[in-house]
Amino acid sequence: MVAPLLIAIPFLAAFAVPLFSLISKRISYYIPALALFANLVISLVLIPRVMSETIVVSIGGFPPPFCINLVVGPVGLLLAIIISLIGLLVSIYGVNYIKEGPKDKYHMLLLALLAGATGMVLTGDIFNLFVFFEILSLASYALTAYNRDRAGTEAAIKYLIQGSIGSAFILIGIAFLYGMFGTLSMADIASKVGGADPGFLFVSLALLITGFGIEAAIFPLNAWLPDAHSSAPSSVSAILSGIAIETGAYAVARILYTVFDSDGIMLLIAVVGLITLLIGEMSAFRQREDIKRLLAYSSIGQMGLILFAFGIATRAGVFAALFQLLNHMLAKSLLFLAVGYMIYRVGSKKLSAFSGLGKRMPVSSFVATIAVFSLVGLPPFAGFMSKFSVVRAALALKDPMFLWFVVLMLIATVIEAGYFFRIIQNLFFKSGNSLEEVKEAPLSCLVPISVLAALILIIGVYPQLVSGILDAAAQGLVERTAYIQYVLGVP
Amino acid sequence: MEALYSNMYYVGAGALILVGLYIILVKSNLIKVIIGIHLLDTGVNVLLVAVGYIKGGTAPIFTRTSLAPTQFVDPIPQALVLTAIVIGVGVLALALSIVVKLYENYGTLDVRKIKGLKW
Amino acid sequence: MRKFVSVILLGFIAAGFFFALSDIPFGDDRMGVAKYYIENGIAQTGAVNIVTSVVVNYRALDTLGEVTVLFVASLGLGALLYPGNRGVDEEKQRASLIVRTGARILFPLILLFGAYIFVHGHLTPGGGFQGGAVIASAFLLQYLAHRHYQLDRRQFSLVESGSGAAFVLVGLLGLAVGGYFLNNFIGKGVPYSLFSAGVIPILYVAIGLKVGAELAGIVAGLMESRSG
Repeated sequence: MVAPLLIAIPFLAAFAVPLFSLISKRISYYIPALALFANLVISLVLIPRVMSETIVVSIGGFPPPFCINLVVGPVGLLLAIIISLIGLLVSIYGVNYIKEGPKDKYHMLLLALLAGATGMVLTGDIFNLFVFFEILSLASYALTAYNRDRAGTEAAIKYLIQGSIGSAFILIGIAFLYGMFGTLSMADIASKVGGADPGFLFVSLALLITGFGIEAAIFPLNAWLPDAHSSAPSSVSAILSGIAIETGAYAVARILYTVFDSDGIMLLIAVVGLITLLIGEMSAFRQREDIKRLLAYSSIGQMGLILFAFGIATRAGVFAALFQLLNHMLAKSLLFLAVGYMIYRVGSKKLSAFSGLGKRMPVSSFVATIAVFSLVGLPPFAGFMSKFSVVRAALALKDPMFLWFVVLMLIATVIEAGYFFRIIQNLFFKSGNSLEEVKEAPLSCLVPISVLAALILIIGVYPQLVSGILDAAAQGLVERTAYIQYVLGVP
Repeated sequence: MEALYSNMYYVGAGALILVGLYIILVKSNLIKVIIGIHLLDTGVNVLLVAVGYIKGGTAPIFTRTSLAPTQFVDPIPQALVLTAIVIGVGVLALALSIVVKLYENYGTLDVRKIKGLKW
Repeated sequence: MRKFVSVILLGFIAAGFFFALSDIPFGDDRMGVAKYYIENGIAQTGAVNIVTSVVVNYRALDTLGEVTVLFVASLGLGALLYPGNRGVDEEKQRASLIVRTGARILFPLILLFGAYIFVHGHLTPGGGFQGGAVIASAFLLQYLAHRHYQLDRRQFSLVESGSGAAFVLVGLLGLAVGGYFLNNFIGKGVPYSLFSAGVIPILYVAIGLKVGAELAGIVAGLMESRSG
């Protein structure tokens, strides 16, 4: 009964913002935060129920598969919680960070993006996945160009063109699947996939993975990402790197694991993920001019790592992938939010301009350091546990090829440490020039980033807090027959 | 030749999709690329409707001279295409507004010249 | 070079299409869930237009998503072309007397036709989106015919948001009354009559108004922004 509210509330709030702005424009800026807070509370309340049994909600009251059904399982709920949490923090940050332009439209677009992302992780119908994905994509295109400057519009049109090719591919894949199986419910397709021609399945799978892979930053489909994530306003970059690409990765994982019963392709996925990781980290290492571009390339690298972990087609591998996903969402959004005010105060994106900023903006720099340590994988932060889980899952396969993969992954981690530590060194150990007017970021920035940093620390010290739901989530993704049974009711 | 004729809708949809993709990949004028996006979307919509066609069927609407349910075409792809067309319109409107701003900022519509963002 | 690589890539894609489509012969009856919709459509939803019952009742969440996509596109366009109003272009040529008079006569007729389409969505081909597009074309006609025509953007934005919120509120009412989000909780009525199909005409009226206001707003945004 309560679960559909997770989707209804953000949509209702997004439509209602102009009605509220009749009363006062200032109030309308806080509506997204209210809606996301409500979503967060509802999803937290649902945790105990979802851990014991997956809730299947029918929209409209008809029996599945004759309706669109939401599948509120551990995976979906976990992602919904993080999306509403990060969305809430970014929306509070954005109230003061976005200073010019049609601000009410910014907040409505942000809320629509988050509504689309929440819908994507909770739905059980493949065309519905596509529609919510389109909401996410369109809001991303519009928000990337929000500043209307040269860089933003150029990045937005490139993002739009590549994203449209991706959506067309997804729709062709859906057309083929519908033509063959006559149904659009993911569980129903999953139950019928066994009897189809493997060549046909390969073509449909390739189209769908390519389409969603453009959003999930798989190499070589990620040419749009460095431009888009570096040219957007920093709060938008935080949402794009922290929520949008992860939701794309979830879609890829859902299609790989649940809809198709694809064992043979997992090795290819792992290899592609590894290539993405290496190229992303190496490109980030060479960036000295633009810190946001460095962070964007780092996002590509991390998504490669997550894809590699998904390619280890075991429950431990999916656990590690989801853990790494969680950590990247927290750490990368924190970094973009902190760097946003740093760039604003200093007035430049160059790495060299940040020398000595640690003294002037101590809280932001300290919190950013926490995020960096977590991404690189140092204890006692959350990133250490997640990278450790990836290594452990890869080694558990007892396959010599995966041993080499782990070596490559560790090399990439060293490269990552190299460029991130260069930033930390710049912040704290170099002396600044002409940084007299630089003050610390305001509270509307410090509170969200401190909350995120605290979470990274807490998860790092007490991973038992999240490992329960992560394990249930991994189980939910890997076990197709249980999924089909929950939705359709017959084994 | 017979196979080409009887699968005309598939061939047409496929041709639209391939031509649209070619335009997006090769052409350098932004307006042409947007037209290519639209052609691609149109081709995918035709493919969706063609997948749902049933020989001898008609529109799935009961009229007073009621038809037997076995004489309808598949109603679901029609509903999907409704959604897909609207989504395509949305993307097109957004693309055109971005291009308007891009032209204001750069003064040209040539993709090769809009390279402000270096590597 | 780029053309060569593109052609090779497209060749692969075409081959993939060929292999996949050869498994889906054209014109075969492969209906799965659609059979259920055709057989039980009138009894469960009350609409004789099966496509409408699929769009607004069986797959209503897709329609909510679609309405949101259009909303996002309209918002994005408004945000990008901000500030929109650059004043009137005095060099624009005045339309001829026939066009101006014809536009004035046709305007209410087109609005009426659009309203007819979305009100009868459950009985005849058509529905909210089609009707909304026709309504927006009436406003486009006004822009083409009159040099100084300007929409009241604020009113249109209110209609747009209000009908969007109404859609979700009807869905929430369905959750409260019928136990399922977007449930059809009003009585089905007699098929083939105007007041039938429960919630469907209400939703389609909301969608029709929303899409009409939205597309008219998009047209207004593009027409009123003079670049350069």
